[in-house]
Amino acid sequence: MENLPILAIMTLFMGAFLNSLLGRRSRKVGNTVVFIAMALALGMMLALIRPVFFEGRTICYWMGGWAPDAGWAYGIGLEVDALSLFFGLIVTIAVMVSGVYSFTYMARDDSQVNFYTLFLMLSGAVLGLVLSGDLFNVYVMVEIMTFSAVALTAFRNDYDGALEGAFKYLVVGSIGSTSLLVGTILVYANLHTLNMAQIAQLAPSHMNATMVTAFAFLFVGFATKAFLFPFQPLAADAHAVAPASISLMISGVLTKCGVYGIIRLTYDLFQNISESTVSYLVTGFGMVTMFICVTMAFNQHNFKRLLAFHSISQVGYVITAVGLGTPLGLSAGLYHAINHTLFKGLLFLVAGAVQHETGSLDLDDLGGLSKNMPRTTALFLIGAASISGLPPFNGFASKWMIYQALFEKAGSTGNFFYILACVVALLTSVLTLASFIKVTQSVFFGQRRAKYADVKECPAAMRLPMWILAIFCVVLGLFPEQFGNWFLRPAAGAALNAEAYAAQMLGGSTAAAGAAEYTLIGAWQPIVWLLLLVLVCCAMTIVAVSGRRSEPEPLAEPDVEDEQVLPENAKYEPFFSGEESHYSQVGGSDLFWGFKENLKKYFSFWHDWHSGIVNDYALYGVLCLAAVLCYCAVFL
Amino acid sequence: MSFIQNAIDNAMSKSLWLYHINAGSCNGCDIEIVAALTPRYDAERLGCKLCGSPRQADIVLVSGPVTLQSRDRLIRTLAQVPEPYCVVSVGSCPCSGNVFKGSYAICGPLEKYCHVDVSVAGCTPKPEAIMAGIAQAAEILKEKRKEMHK
Amino acid sequence: MSVLTILGKVLIFPGLLFTLLAALWLAGLDRKLVARMQRRVGPPLLQPWYDYLKCCGKETIIPRKANRTVFLAAPALGLASIFVTAMLIPVGGVSIFSGSADLVVILYLLTFASVMLIIGSAASGSPFAGVGLSREMVAMISYELPFVLVMLAVGRAAGDGFCLAGVTFSLADLCAWQSANGPMIFRWSLLPAAIAMLFIIPCEVGQQPFDIDEAETEICEGVLAEYSGRPLGQFKMMHVIKMYVMSSLFCAMFLHIETGFLLADVVIHLVLCTLVCFVSMSLPHAITARFKVEQIFRFYWTTVTALAAVSLILVWCGV
Repeated sequence: MENLPILAIMTLFMGAFLNSLLGRRSRKVGNTVVFIAMALALGMMLALIRPVFFEGRTICYWMGGWAPDAGWAYGIGLEVDALSLFFGLIVTIAVMVSGVYSFTYMARDDSQVNFYTLFLMLSGAVLGLVLSGDLFNVYVMVEIMTFSAVALTAFRNDYDGALEGAFKYLVVGSIGSTSLLVGTILVYANLHTLNMAQIAQLAPSHMNATMVTAFAFLFVGFATKAFLFPFQPLAADAHAVAPASISLMISGVLTKCGVYGIIRLTYDLFQNISESTVSYLVTGFGMVTMFICVTMAFNQHNFKRLLAFHSISQVGYVITAVGLGTPLGLSAGLYHAINHTLFKGLLFLVAGAVQHETGSLDLDDLGGLSKNMPRTTALFLIGAASISGLPPFNGFASKWMIYQALFEKAGSTGNFFYILACVVALLTSVLTLASFIKVTQSVFFGQRRAKYADVKECPAAMRLPMWILAIFCVVLGLFPEQFGNWFLRPAAGAALNAEAYAAQMLGGSTAAAGAAEYTLIGAWQPIVWLLLLVLVCCAMTIVAVSGRRSEPEPLAEPDVEDEQVLPENAKYEPFFSGEESHYSQVGGSDLFWGFKENLKKYFSFWHDWHSGIVNDYALYGVLCLAAVLCYCAVFL
Repeated sequence: MSFIQNAIDNAMSKSLWLYHINAGSCNGCDIEIVAALTPRYDAERLGCKLCGSPRQADIVLVSGPVTLQSRDRLIRTLAQVPEPYCVVSVGSCPCSGNVFKGSYAICGPLEKYCHVDVSVAGCTPKPEAIMAGIAQAAEILKEKRKEMHK
Repeated sequence: MSVLTILGKVLIFPGLLFTLLAALWLAGLDRKLVARMQRRVGPPLLQPWYDYLKCCGKETIIPRKANRTVFLAAPALGLASIFVTAMLIPVGGVSIFSGSADLVVILYLLTFASVMLIIGSAASGSPFAGVGLSREMVAMISYELPFVLVMLAVGRAAGDGFCLAGVTFSLADLCAWQSANGPMIFRWSLLPAAIAMLFIIPCEVGQQPFDIDEAETEICEGVLAEYSGRPLGQFKMMHVIKMYVMSSLFCAMFLHIETGFLLADVVIHLVLCTLVCFVSMSLPHAITARFKVEQIFRFYWTTVTALAAVSLILVWCGV
């Protein structure tokens, strides 16, 4: 049991190695190796659910048997508590889905062996990061993760901007990594240990100026990895050019590392989330991120770029909730984190499917694909409804929890800041909805260009991973209580109980971390609403069916494109004020004119701000670091 | 289920959504149609409402002598109206071509292209006459609907 | 609670049947009142019902460019969600699921109904619908911000010292607070919020002069351009029921009066709904022309938002 975490990490790394060894000859062998590695890692994570979540155990593993001596941890350790495993599960599920999708999606690319090697390196690094119990190892894993992600971003380097996106990611990502390294060094200099459990034990009693600086550096480092404001342009550039399965990894997994880091940092290592200044810092970051990114998404013409901004916006939600420091807030953040991986992954895969079939991601060019790709459209609608937080999908359940956490915090502290956060969160939700309406209209509905007339549905092998994500989206939305009891409460409890985190690893006690306590007010019972909806739908259907027999039931005629339709036969043509119907699509950028017109100053400001120049982005990063340092120096 | 059908049949003559096609009219009849909707005559008493799309129309008001330019557009729009519907020609032009008769640009009368249920004559007809035409069309609509489910 | 009671509540009172009747009453009266204000006779009171029945009797044309499933499913789902919304609002202190009536859920279900309108129109493939849905979405963004502020103001006013969290979004709590302390609207700090809410109602419903999404004279019914027959009837019915839902929501939030007798409560509720409907929907309809889309956005994000924000700040300061 204790070996499982390290085995899971090693399986992925070994898979990378074996793949490059065996996969050169035959792709089939290589794919088998990749699949086995992913499945084994997933299986090991699943095997840990029972002891960690249900029995409340914490799995500790000391590499090479270097157990702590005299209370000091010398060796490298892995500590898997409920929080780590929660993120471990997110990672392995996303890796599995992304890998299976890639088998078909990447089939037309060359040098796939390199792709899968890098892919498994990335997966292994991310898994290592969330399971690690050692701060320096976290840094190492971040480095492996960043570099393989950069290489994968540029994998399709024939795309316009692929190398540019990767280069920006490399440069600004390095600022984050460096910041992490500096933070780690400062912590080590002060506390003489790199073991996270021991840091958790020592840090609160050893707070001084150096430690505050270390906190600021570490925070900015993790914020870079989560692409929080002002690092979001990187994600946009990287997502737009990366293969869709890698976009899933970047949005669903890499950003989660940042989130995981911030949770660990503020709840366990420094345990300062209960201080209102830290809470303001984290929540403020989340708020700004979610609002700016969602408005930036309005301006996008590229399907995946738009999704990228939304992805960061949703991470903003997670960070906002995490910053509250309450059990409910943390649980809501964790819930939204996994939901974000599911629905955003689904949407990226849909974008990939559209790209795979049409070769385009241009929102002003696509349109009317729902007739060619009905199943993909259904999947997209599930994903879009989830991210927009429409009931009964998972986004609604977790956003609802976030609102509740926000107004509970606002009510109990009487602080207007959290009310502001609540308003921003609700507004962001509407804006998210608006931009997904834009995508729905300009990709799947509306009218279709003649050149897309014979686009086909994407292969079943690509739809299968999407369906898995879609089913998860629905299930998690329908059973928030059960999911909360089984996973969220233990995970949040583990993060909130820093003493147990430290004691478990250092062998002080075997006290379980316990589950976080919170109550969902309003008795949100999605099942009830679902039943109601079904009931009413049935009623509607009955009304609709009665007397149908007397009606002529007209069927849409087979689709003929670009064919002169005689005026007498125009019954099924779209109404065009009497004119002959021709291609006329309200393009994605023309939607929401009234909104953009009124806020054009705001939009043009942010448009100019995203200059696309890597120097600027690096400058923003450094400025952000400086600002956080000043903030921490003044208030902590 | 016959009582539902009866209710629908009756509603047919009580809710009349008008769609107005100008087939090259001089705008005189159009003004009178609008006048019929004003508070003075108040066609809404009969359940009338102007609607913007032929898909929602019950009664199509056609004015004008059907010019060459408007013919295809007229035919196309009439084809897009869902059954049952009535065509009411407003003014003398759609019936006979009126003073435009014989012009190279006129391809009327309207009857060449569709079945006209009610013709309101006059150049221009009074709003009262238009309303009487609509009221007659309402009864015809009801009969049409009854025949549909026989 | 037995299954029969729940079924009775869902189907008869305060569920389907009652909602339908109340909504038809409000919508019919609205048209009659507008007509009377313009010195017309106006249509019969049952006109919305006739319109719906008429639509059921017409042919349903599915355009060739439309996605058939979505085109037909969207109206039914929209209507269903708006019915569910109606069931969440307590009438005379009776709600189907006491304690779970929640403003955020209502907000989202109302959004869901609008989204169904948008998705359905997008699926119809008409360019007019494209313009219409964009306008509908902008209108939605416009009123959602002040709506959230109003909700927070009311929630704080009722929640302060009344429940543990300090803010409540539960309509049941709001009603309980109002039966103890008198209607919210009599608290002067909440008056701006109530006025803001009166502005939000017609925009949410899509009533003239805020019906930019289906402006029949400019964009040929916009979102509904391709709809005919039964789906059209369902959308029209959705509009009618939204009128009742929004008026009823206003009554539950600001004007809840309880006498203890169910019948009296229901009558009072209906009278108040009619009043709200008259003030917020019929009056503007009769006296103003249709707004432009950017005007709506500016109006809601400045004037109405300011009203709601003033209330929120006042309530937060404990006034």
